[in-house]
Amino acid sequence: MRGNDSKGRHKPVRGVKNKMNQDNAIREADGTPKDEMDKGLEPNLQAHIGRHVRAAFDEVAKEPIPDHLLQLLKELERGGDK
Amino acid sequence: MKAKVSPALRDALIGEMGNLRAFGVSLCGDRERADDLVQETLFKAWNHLDSFREGTNLKAWLFTILRNTYFSERRKRRREVEDADGGYAARLSTHPEQHGHMDMQDFREVLVRLPDDQREALILVGAAGFSYEEAADICGCAVGTIKSRVNRARNRLGDMLGLDQEAEEGSPPAVDVAKSA
Repeated sequence: MRGNDSKGRHKPVRGVKNKMNQDNAIREADGTPKDEMDKGLEPNLQAHIGRHVRAAFDEVAKEPIPDHLLQLLKELERGGDK
Repeated sequence: MKAKVSPALRDALIGEMGNLRAFGVSLCGDRERADDLVQETLFKAWNHLDSFREGTNLKAWLFTILRNTYFSERRKRRREVEDADGGYAARLSTHPEQHGHMDMQDFREVLVRLPDDQREALILVGAAGFSYEEAADICGCAVGTIKSRVNRARNRLGDMLGLDQEAEEGSPPAVDVAKSA
């Protein structure tokens, strides 16, 4: 289909363009998951986060158990079920 | 079941209540609601003790009951209230003085902005001391899923903390200084 000169010139150009776009797309497609998966956090930051996650959890875990929960356990033990 | 619970099992139950409360708070962000969750978990656990084999992982079993209770209630609630997340975040941020120092409060607010599944995975593995395998059992998903949720949660927290700290010009971690230098 290269009978038409102008189209003939046009086509290769578009072809090249498309190929470049495709390359970019591939690079982006490659890059995005890499960013997500391989983005190892800086060790300092990761440790910082780890400490905070544990601290937030432990803060509550170490609180005294509310009386009504302990009471419930006693009632269950006495043989009352729901 | 009107269980004859061995003293050892009973003590073990009590021993896990603190962890259960902490897990509940990390899921719903609210101590009162967390206590309701723990209460319901105790009920269910007690009435199904026959399905628990002593010597197996009591903690994982209890955590499973609690999170299933939470998520099934949440599904029901979601149908009624659209913006459960917004309500949750707002509730937390209106009580800053409740939790002592601001640093931790800031972190909690960032933590709640994580998607439920990522926050849950991070807490189970990063705070409650479960292995990836145990966390996968608790959440009823594949080990790989837990790993990727934990990774995404960490990355997201890293991003959010980095941004927040830059914006507030508080005490940026050494990492940020190194990066911007």
